[in-house]
Amino acid sequence: MSKRKVKDVHRPIGECITQVQQILRERFCHQQLPDRPEGLEAQYKHLLELLRRSAIQGESNSVLIVGPRGAGKTMLLQCVLRDLLQEKEAQKNLLQVHLNGLLQTDDRIALKEITRQLNLENVVGDKVFGSFAENLAFLLEALKKGDRSSSRPVLFVLDEFDLFAHHKNQTLLYNLFDVSQSAQTPVAVVGVTCRLDVLELLEKRVKSRFSHRQIHLLSSFGFSEYLQTVRTQLSLPDDFTDRGFAQDWNSSIQTLCEDKSVEEALQRHFNSSKDFRSLHMLLMLCLSRVSVSKPSIKPADLLDASRLCLCDAKANMLHGLSILELCLIIAMKHLNDVYEGEPFNLQMVHNEFKKFLQRKSNSMYNFEQPVVMKAFEHLQQLELIRPVDGSSAKTQREFQLMRLMLDHSQIMEALQKYPQCPTDVKQWAMSAFG
Amino acid sequence: MIDSVCSLCVSSLVISVEGLPRPTIIIPEQHILIEGDDEDNPYVAKVIRLFGDGEFGEQMKAVVQWFVRVSEVPLSKLKLLGREPHPQEIFHYQGRICDDEVNVESILRPVQVTVACVHPKVLGHKMCTNITTDVKSIKFKNIDSWMSGHHLLTMLLLFQQIMPGTPRTPHQATPSIPCRSLPTRQPANILEEARARLHVSSVPESLPCREQEFQDIYSFVESKIIDGTGGCMYISGVPGTGKTATVHEVMRCLQHAADVDEIPTFHFIEINGMKMTDPHQAYVQILQNLTGQKATPDHAAALLDKRFNNPAPRKQTTVLLVDELDLLWTRKQNVMYNLFDWPTQRHARLVVLTIANTMDLPERIMINRVASRLGLTRMSFQPYSFKQLQQIIMSRLNKVKAFEEDALQLVSRKVAALSGDARRCLDICRRATEICEHSTTNPSATGLVGMSHVMEALNEMFSSAYITAIKCASMQEQLFLRAVIAEFRRLGLEEATFQQVFVQHQALCRLEGLQPISVSEGLAVCQRLGACRLLLLEPSRLGVLQRVRLNVSQDDVLYALKAD
Repeated sequence: MSKRKVKDVHRPIGECITQVQQILRERFCHQQLPDRPEGLEAQYKHLLELLRRSAIQGESNSVLIVGPRGAGKTMLLQCVLRDLLQEKEAQKNLLQVHLNGLLQTDDRIALKEITRQLNLENVVGDKVFGSFAENLAFLLEALKKGDRSSSRPVLFVLDEFDLFAHHKNQTLLYNLFDVSQSAQTPVAVVGVTCRLDVLELLEKRVKSRFSHRQIHLLSSFGFSEYLQTVRTQLSLPDDFTDRGFAQDWNSSIQTLCEDKSVEEALQRHFNSSKDFRSLHMLLMLCLSRVSVSKPSIKPADLLDASRLCLCDAKANMLHGLSILELCLIIAMKHLNDVYEGEPFNLQMVHNEFKKFLQRKSNSMYNFEQPVVMKAFEHLQQLELIRPVDGSSAKTQREFQLMRLMLDHSQIMEALQKYPQCPTDVKQWAMSAFG
Repeated sequence: MIDSVCSLCVSSLVISVEGLPRPTIIIPEQHILIEGDDEDNPYVAKVIRLFGDGEFGEQMKAVVQWFVRVSEVPLSKLKLLGREPHPQEIFHYQGRICDDEVNVESILRPVQVTVACVHPKVLGHKMCTNITTDVKSIKFKNIDSWMSGHHLLTMLLLFQQIMPGTPRTPHQATPSIPCRSLPTRQPANILEEARARLHVSSVPESLPCREQEFQDIYSFVESKIIDGTGGCMYISGVPGTGKTATVHEVMRCLQHAADVDEIPTFHFIEINGMKMTDPHQAYVQILQNLTGQKATPDHAAALLDKRFNNPAPRKQTTVLLVDELDLLWTRKQNVMYNLFDWPTQRHARLVVLTIANTMDLPERIMINRVASRLGLTRMSFQPYSFKQLQQIIMSRLNKVKAFEEDALQLVSRKVAALSGDARRCLDICRRATEICEHSTTNPSATGLVGMSHVMEALNEMFSSAYITAIKCASMQEQLFLRAVIAEFRRLGLEEATFQQVFVQHQALCRLEGLQPISVSEGLAVCQRLGACRLLLLEPSRLGVLQRVRLNVSQDDVLYALKAD
């Protein structure tokens, strides 16, 4: 294809937008791996060298990757594995076993899964034969027979590693670490967890066999790097089919990131959390407003998305309540103020509400007891109030003690925005005593 | 495809094959290709005889000996070969699932099968085959490899599972991990060599600094073997002090002595409490190691009881090593009782060596009769001192000069001060060699592992990351931690509800000039801190009412948050 032909490719706008959506959604939702993990060079190098030594030289090792949620632990591991498996020798030899603490909740299930993934001889199709004891003995025997120079190395990846430490006797962990410290089949045990105190969970024998290598993903990058990340995440790659469109898009992203209000919104997000996952959620919300009629991201989009992300969840729910239920909530708030957070029951709330009604002469809100009870139950179903533990079965429902799960500020905020809120209700809420 | 069948002669068959000008003759003992599901890989077979079937003999059939290709053999069975199979290799099929009779219409064409030459004496990995190939005449080059008797037997086992049908329970399963394509490379430089030697798994022939313990255990077991009596010994020590390694060394020396007839022969069995799923599995494992029998735990216990309690002309002493003894504890303690009771029988000739971590295990968890049967032959392995750790590393390295003197001293002193665990020491040294090899910012002047590398390794493997985590937390997370401390100070307690802390948090936000955050955002910040275990939280279903505690000391938090 001649160079001239490539330059003149112009696609219809709809096709471009579809492609943009596809590329960016791959990045935000489908956890597409970047070429190089940003800001994690030292950790990347450490992990790659370790796994390369295991795969190629047959050295047994164990390591833990520790970092807060959404920091990129799994992404780092996947990048390292992808780059490692590009070397032919590693690709031909390395056997992989992937376990997850949330899926394999028990050592029995974990063993069956290991046997199935390694495709040992007691597996036919998908079914593993034998009892728990037999599976364990079989696996240990298989690993014991191997040796460093002639067996294929096995990589064990344990996601949610801290959950494995809660299994009975930590049998699986003991055996995996024991194999990694004996002259048997070379294994590399990589644990991924978010708990900083994970070593305290290990029993002393298991802890002694673990090599105490930890790779911490604690990034100390500042706001300017964060802005840079936003820019690169939203930009289109160079090999986009319509060059002109890609250039326009990228320059619009540039202007977007230089906008003052956008910077403020991003600063708020950065102050709240630095991790990639929440950033992706925010950018995804912006992306969902891009369409053929509006083929770029405007600052208003980002501000809207930011507001969606940071708004209060419970305050929104209050907008859907009826006036009676709202009045009950306000009565509960007053009770909380007076009695300093002591639990209340329906009778107390109803009495408080009746006090308000007595002061006002209109009888519009004068509901019967069963109606008020129904409203109270609705509030309980929405989990805006919650019974105090213990007393649920024995007492009658009107006298069961409850606690309010809302904060003062949430109620006030909801009241400001409640559609067509009656003024006397609002005034009652603002006043100090009912 | 066959165009026409020409004759009904029983001794031979003439067929026309597509693409060949003259009709082809098929005779018995010839190899043929038979139509199968895959056009590119038809089945290979050898004609045994031809006959006519049906009322008038009109349907021509052939009785064949089937062969299977490499691709049809399941992977697990291929490993039994002990070598890489040639891609065009075929094997005899002797199963009974496949019908031996085929209609001649399904015959495609004849094919040439050549025999490979095999060195008669050599088996297994070293078997080499000379392959004769003939490219021009036919598309396929088939090599029929004739195995020695041993492999032929395994071939018979192979083919039970080849044809599709219900999968059968693998009752002949052998445990193994597949082999590498090429053996691993040897260490290339001094640091790699040092790393290989410092790996915990390369246990030396004789353990330094454990000579006295070795001598005691050796004399104990030797005397029991020579006298033909039984006994128990309890070995204790913190993890990483060389207990299991020393016992293995003792048994190796005793085995050597038995091999040269210095002492009577004996049988060594090893079980490990952590490698069992249930304490009663101990009986199963001991029985299997002793006699090769498989049995349920109760049956195994009964059989072992019979064996050890009854006098029989027993020739061999049995030495049983029980690792991680505390995991064999049951409420009635009958497993431990049996293990210590059997050696006391006159004719049992059983010597039991038990290993655990705590010195007073018998007094703490065993009932009186079990503890008394365990006896008073106890040995305690002390944690290593720094001189001993240094000696261990030096003996491992054994003239490989990879470390500077003071670097080694630093590691030994640090580890000895903390735990005296040899594994820890070796791992830190290994990490130091890695840092030295890959460090670009701090290259070693002399090519040896220096103080700086060792200090970096120590920092990595000894530090706790709380302070760094707090420093790297986001602004709101740091404010929240400060709010927690402020609320604790106000209440005078070590715990508070989220609602109370949130009030403080909002005040701090206002002080810092930040916009106040919503309750949901505050809850999210709190959850993130709880997930890392910087804070300890109650279950999140309690919402704003959940109680919060600090998992780090207040001084550490304030130190980390100090403005820098």
